[in-house]
Amino acid sequence: MEDLLFYLFAFVVIGSASVVVLSKNIMYSAFSLLFTFFGVAGLYVLLFADFVALTQIMVYIGGILVLIIFGVLLTTKITGVDIKSGTTGKVQLITASVVVVIIAISLILLFTNVEWVNQEFVQPNTTIDSIGFAFMTKYLLPFEIAAVLLLIALVGATLIARRK
Amino acid sequence: MFEQDIINKFVTNVGESIQLMQPEVALLITFVLALVFDLIFKKTRSIAGYVAILGFIVTGFLLCTADSANAGGFAQMVAIDPFSNFFKLIILLASLIVVVMSLFSKELYTESRTLGEYYSLIAGMTLAMFLLSSSNNLIMMYLSIEMMSLSSYVLAGYTKEIKRASEASLKYVIYGAISSGIMIYGISLIFGLTGTLNLYEINSFLANADINLWALLVPTLMIIAGIGYKISIVPFHFWTPDVYEGAPVTITALLSVASKAAGFAMLIRFIKVGFVDSMFGGDFWAVLHLDWQHIIALLSVLTMTLGNLVALWQTNVKRLLAYSSIAHAGYMLMGLTVMNDAGVAAVLIYFFVYLFMNLGAFFFVLLIANKTGSEDIEDYQGLGYKAPAISVCMVIFLVSLTGLPPTAGFIGKLYIFTALLQNPDFIWLAVVGVINSVISLAFYVKVFRNMYLRKVDEAKETFKFSIPSIVLMFALAIPTLLFGIYFSPIVNWAEQSVGIFLR
Repeated sequence: MEDLLFYLFAFVVIGSASVVVLSKNIMYSAFSLLFTFFGVAGLYVLLFADFVALTQIMVYIGGILVLIIFGVLLTTKITGVDIKSGTTGKVQLITASVVVVIIAISLILLFTNVEWVNQEFVQPNTTIDSIGFAFMTKYLLPFEIAAVLLLIALVGATLIARRK
Repeated sequence: MFEQDIINKFVTNVGESIQLMQPEVALLITFVLALVFDLIFKKTRSIAGYVAILGFIVTGFLLCTADSANAGGFAQMVAIDPFSNFFKLIILLASLIVVVMSLFSKELYTESRTLGEYYSLIAGMTLAMFLLSSSNNLIMMYLSIEMMSLSSYVLAGYTKEIKRASEASLKYVIYGAISSGIMIYGISLIFGLTGTLNLYEINSFLANADINLWALLVPTLMIIAGIGYKISIVPFHFWTPDVYEGAPVTITALLSVASKAAGFAMLIRFIKVGFVDSMFGGDFWAVLHLDWQHIIALLSVLTMTLGNLVALWQTNVKRLLAYSSIAHAGYMLMGLTVMNDAGVAAVLIYFFVYLFMNLGAFFFVLLIANKTGSEDIEDYQGLGYKAPAISVCMVIFLVSLTGLPPTAGFIGKLYIFTALLQNPDFIWLAVVGVINSVISLAFYVKVFRNMYLRKVDEAKETFKFSIPSIVLMFALAIPTLLFGIYFSPIVNWAEQSVGIFLR
């Protein structure tokens, strides 16, 4: 059952992600991104990462994706226009393909051959408890620094959005 | 209760850590105060700049007066050690000089532009670079690199009505997003391989485990790609010329010195703490598993050769200095190649010297752009007579960037080559470095020739510069000369600062 669900979600993720990349219409790309995010959230659930799955849905689907779609809709000029993907030169295309294939092969070899560290598996009821605990103890500094990072991002965003 | 104990322990730890991290706290306060003061005093455009200068001075004071600590803070997330302190001082000095430089910039002070965010983002970026130079944990490294990048993306496009600035900013964001994506993928693979993000734990895992070499090489190369992007190593340098040309001169100067220093600090710490076998003491670093020496040597040769060769064809001085800064990253990587304390000390010395000469060269570009509105090398003709005082300073910087005596640049190169020559395997690298220095002479002389030898007769008018700007120019030029003659304090200081906190 779990395996079946995994393959289902993986199929959704890979299928919709290829639509995102290959589609020439930017609206189709934006919408299929929805399924990619959703599939990834499903994979998180299968890994017992309930909190991450929830955040994935709330932040990526609820926030970022809606923003992207609004952005696409409001800049009316691009909705109708095909993204030109046939104009890149042959040299770039060949080098890029070679690099991508090399990376893909090395990653596949890596994932199949390497002995990964497996921590002892305990099925948790909910991960929110332990995540909160870790944030407030061991990972306190990264947690606080992330807040400063967001402040910087906010300042930068208002600056870019401001008219003058 | 068990959890209560852990919490109590961490509360004490947080108290101690904050004591150690006073300079960072001061910078954080500076960042926030600069934003707030800009809101209150809307009339004074430079108010945030003054706050930043004051904050940097306080930070510098805290940094210099702090006890020479050698400890980890926040559950080993960061390390406060002589090594990070050296880099923090370099970063702080560079940011301070850049803020002062910005006060003279005509490009920034156009009619209606508000500059509060500009100065506060510089303060925020400095905080990120401070954290980067003492991060001990991969997640902390990633966060601070992102924080540094986010502020520099915005700063690079600050003059957003200028088309090439927005273009630079956009290019920077796109390349940056990809490289940090690659980097965090590498980090996740390292986590899967070793089960930890802490560099010490990674080290002890690697020391005891029988690890697949290939599996270690792929993620580390990915992380090197992320760091290499920040310090613009070939082949991750593509953004450098465009961003350096498009961004305001002050930001170009900041990126070429401070963010490069932070990146190098992180690279050195990543290798030294993560991969050096702690069983072997002494000067030589016995590296675990990977052949770091040849990886770094290869990157170094590529970086300096490409930087210098492409610089020969540049006609825009900012772009020329961008390629020159790529080449200098290559020279500094040479120092890292030998993988011993002498090599790291040479890198530290080089950075200290590079700070003055590179910021000075950019300040010259800024002052000339203020007068002529151009950065083209053709417009530098006859400047030696139009602006005699600052041109003399520029010549000092150019000689120093080439690495000729009696300037500080020579001392920087001398120590790097000395470190290399101690290792018979890397004499070829030293030869490549010398050949590269000779090539670099060609394009530095090109600037000089335009300033002094061409269209000299037409140079009737002279440019007037304000007294403070000339003072700053000399404040950068005099150390460049002075440390070329009297360099033992710097060398001593650098040699004492190679100590990285190892648990």
